[in-house]
Amino acid sequence: MNVKNLRTTVLLAAVALLIPVIAGFGEAVAAGQTAAQQPPGPATGNAASGKNLYYAQGCYGCHGFNGETGTRLIGSPSRNLTSEPGFIAFLRLRADQAPLLPATRMPNYPENSLSDRQARDIYAYIRSFKSTTPELKDIPALNLIIEAAKKPYTP
Amino acid sequence: MAKPKKNSSTRRGFLKGAAAGVAAGAAALVTDISIAEAQQGAARTEAAPIVVPPPMQAQIDRDAGNVRPPAAARAVKNPGSDLMVQVLRDLGVEFVASNPGSSFEGVQESIINYGNPPNVNPEFITALHEMSAVDMAHGYGKAEGKPMVAMLHGTLGIQNAAMAIYQAYYDRTPMVLLVGRDEGFIQAHTAHDMAAMCRSFTKWDATGKTLVESLAAIQRAYAEAMAPPQGPTLVVLDMEHQKEEVQGVRVPAYRPPQITGLDATRVRAIAKGLIDAQNPRIAVGRLRTHQGVKLAVELAESVGATTTTAATNGPMSFPQRHPLCGPGASTTYDFVLGLEAPGAQYSLTGPGLATLLSRDTMQVGFGGIAPPPPGATGRAAAGRGNAGANDIEIDAEASLKGIIEEVALQLTADKRRVIGERAAKHAAANQEARMKALNDAVQVRRNGWNGSPIATARIYAELWPLIMNEDWCLASPTGFSGGHNAALWDHNKPYSYLGSQGAAGMGYGLGASVGAALAAKVRGRIVINIQCDGDFNYSPGAIWTAAHHRLPMLTIMHNNRAWHQEFMFVEYMTGVRGRGTDRGHIGTTLRDPDIDYAKLAQGYGMAAEGPITDPSKLLAALKRGVDSVKRGAPYLIDVITQPR
Ligand SMILES: Cc1ncc(C[n+]2csc(CCOP(=O)(O)OP(=O)(O)O)c2C)c(N)n1
Ligand SMILES: [Mg+2]
Repeated sequence: MNVKNLRTTVLLAAVALLIPVIAGFGEAVAAGQTAAQQPPGPATGNAASGKNLYYAQGCYGCHGFNGETGTRLIGSPSRNLTSEPGFIAFLRLRADQAPLLPATRMPNYPENSLSDRQARDIYAYIRSFKSTTPELKDIPALNLIIEAAKKPYTP
Repeated sequence: MAKPKKNSSTRRGFLKGAAAGVAAGAAALVTDISIAEAQQGAARTEAAPIVVPPPMQAQIDRDAGNVRPPAAARAVKNPGSDLMVQVLRDLGVEFVASNPGSSFEGVQESIINYGNPPNVNPEFITALHEMSAVDMAHGYGKAEGKPMVAMLHGTLGIQNAAMAIYQAYYDRTPMVLLVGRDEGFIQAHTAHDMAAMCRSFTKWDATGKTLVESLAAIQRAYAEAMAPPQGPTLVVLDMEHQKEEVQGVRVPAYRPPQITGLDATRVRAIAKGLIDAQNPRIAVGRLRTHQGVKLAVELAESVGATTTTAATNGPMSFPQRHPLCGPGASTTYDFVLGLEAPGAQYSLTGPGLATLLSRDTMQVGFGGIAPPPPGATGRAAAGRGNAGANDIEIDAEASLKGIIEEVALQLTADKRRVIGERAAKHAAANQEARMKALNDAVQVRRNGWNGSPIATARIYAELWPLIMNEDWCLASPTGFSGGHNAALWDHNKPYSYLGSQGAAGMGYGLGASVGAALAAKVRGRIVINIQCDGDFNYSPGAIWTAAHHRLPMLTIMHNNRAWHQEFMFVEYMTGVRGRGTDRGHIGTTLRDPDIDYAKLAQGYGMAAEGPITDPSKLLAALKRGVDSVKRGAPYLIDVITQPR
C-alpha cells in the first residue's frame, strides 16, 4: 500500500469508522452498528504464516492465543475486523494520526514495521479462529457456582 | 558509641582485633570457627592468598551432633534476649520470620531454647531471604490485623528487606521488625543509626540504650504498629543487651494503644442520621482488625442499612454475601456513612501516611504520600487530595462501638420493627442482584474455556467449588490473573482476600502467601496462592519455607512465561514509535529456557505437578492440591495460562 493510498484509506476510515477505529479491537462500536450485521469480507492471506506472526508480533499478549481471552477477537463487535482493507487501515491509522498518544494501548503498525502481506496473513489467521467456548450447561463448575449461590448466607 | 567490654573475651572481641589487623580479615571472619583459626588469619600477610581452612575433626563432630555442648556452666544463665522473647510471647507474637544473622544470635538462641515449650509463640520461621521474611509478616498482618515479627541482620538484612518494608508501609500493614546490631563483630554489618536506613518508610523506630529500654521499645513498637495508620515499626537490638546477664530487670507492663474514636456529639448525630433515614447506607472500606469487621456488621444490622464492601479488593471489610451487602431494595439513599470509605453525610477515615511525613528525614517524598512538589502538573500534582466537607479524620473502627451503643439508646420499638422489615426487603433484593450479577459473570467466564494455554477464569471457576466449604484465605494479589475471584467467589471473612501488593511491588505474592499460611496453619484454614511467574522469581526460596514448616498453602501458577504486564507496556512503546512489535519480548518474557516450576518446587521439597497445558487435566490437579493442603502439606500446580 503506497502512501497516497494509505492516506486515502485512512481518511475514509477516519470518516466512516471514527469511533470504532479509535476505540480499538473488542470495544463497543457506535450504537446500532455491529459487525455481526455485516457479512465479513474475504481473507486473502496465509493463515499458517499468520499464526507465526500472531505470536512473533505479540498479538496474543492482549488478545489471547486463541482470540478468546483478554481483549477478545472472537465475537468482537469491532468493525475493524470485518474486512481485510479495514483491518490493515486500522493497523496503520494511528501510527499516522497520533503516533505519540494513541487512544488505546493497541500498538501502531506503520508499513515498514509490518507489511501489508504480513497484515493480511495475520488477518487470515484471526479469521481462522474457532471458538472453544462451550454452552453454560456443559460447564459443571460454573453451574455448581450458581447452585451454591442460591443457598442462604451463613456467617 | 562507648561500650562496656563485657564480652571482650569472646571470639567476637578477638575477631574484631583480627579484622582490624588484616585487610583480608574477612577470610578469618568467614570461617568464623575458633580463636586458633582466627589467629592463623591474623598472622597472614596481605599478599597471602585467602585459604579457607578445612574443618577440624572437633568441628565436624560438633556439626554432626556427635558431641554435647561443653559441660561447663553457661557464661550467662539468664540472658537479656530471654526477656526479649518473653516480651514477644506476652504480646501474643506467634512467629518470627528470619534469615539467620549473627547480630541477633542471642535472640535467635532464646527463641529456639527459652521457655517451656521453647520455640512456640513465637516460633522461629526460617526465611531464605529477608524480602520474603518481611513479605511473610505482610501477609500475616493483613490476614490477622496484628503484627508478626521479621528479624533482620544488621545493615545487610535490613537493606535486603527494604522494598518489602516500604510496601508494607504503603499498604499500612502492622508488623514489627527487629534488627540486630553487634558493634563488636563485623564492622560492615553494624551502623550507628541502623533504623535510619528505612526511617522514611517505617512508622516508628527505637534503639534501646539499655536492656529495659529495648524491652519497652519492643512493646511500644507493637502498639505503634497496631495504631492507625498501621505500619511497620522497627527496633534495633544491641548484642550487648541480648547477651547481658539479667539482674533485677523487670519487664515493663504493656500499654496497648489508645485509639481515639469519634466525639460524643458527632456520635449522636450519626446515630440519629442512621435511625431517622428512610434508606441508610454504610460504605465500608478497609478496617483494621477482625473485631472492626464484626462491629461494622453489628451496626449495619442494628439500623437495617445496606452496605458496600471492599472485601473483593482486600482484607478487613464487610462480608460480601451478608444479606445487607448490595444495592438493596432502593438505590435512593438518604444517609450514607463511610467507614474508611467516602460517605455522603459522614466519612470516618483514619489518619493516613501523610501524618508520618516528619519521619521522611531523607526527604524522599514518596509519591502519593507527600504533598506535590511545587510546580507539579498532572498526576504528580494530585497529591493526596483534599478531604471532603464531611470527612472526619478519625479511625472508623475505634468509633464503631460508640455509634452502636448510641443507636441502641435511640432506637424505639417502632423503629426496630421498621428496620426489621426494611432489612428483609434489602436481603431479597440483594440476593436477586447477586444472582443476576453471577449469571452475567459466568457467561463471560465461559470464553476460551477449552482453550490452551488455559484461560485464567477456568482456574478460579474450577477451584471455587472445591474450597467454598472450607475455611480459606486467598492470599495472593489476583489482578494479573484476571481477578475472577471478585465476581465468582464469596468474600465473607476479614481474611478472605488479602488484596494487592500495596505498592505494586513484585515479589510479594509468594512470601505474603507463606505468611498468611502461617496464620492459617494454627487456625485450621487453607491458603490459596494464585502465583504469577514473574512475582515468583524474586524470592522463590519462600517455597522451601512453606515446605519446611508444612504450611497449608496451595500454589497455582499463573504461568504466562512473562512479566506480562511489562511485555504489554514495551509492545505498546514499540508500536507508538512505529518500530515493530516483534522484539518486545526481549527482557519481558521468561522463555528460552522455560522455567519448570513443578521441578523447582520439588527441588525445594514441596509436592508439585505440571506444567499443565490441557484444560481438561486442570480439575483433577486442583483436587489433588486441595486435598494435600487440607492434610497440611503445601502443593504447587504449574499451569500454563493465557497471558490475561
Ligand atoms: C520490584 C518490582 N520490580 C519491577 C516491577 C515492574 N513490574 C510491574 S508488573 C511486572 C511483571 C509482573 O510479572 P508477573 O508477576 O509474572 O505477572 P504477569 O504480568 O505476567 O501476569 C513488573 C516486572 C515492579 N512493579 N516491582
Ligand atoms: Mg507472568
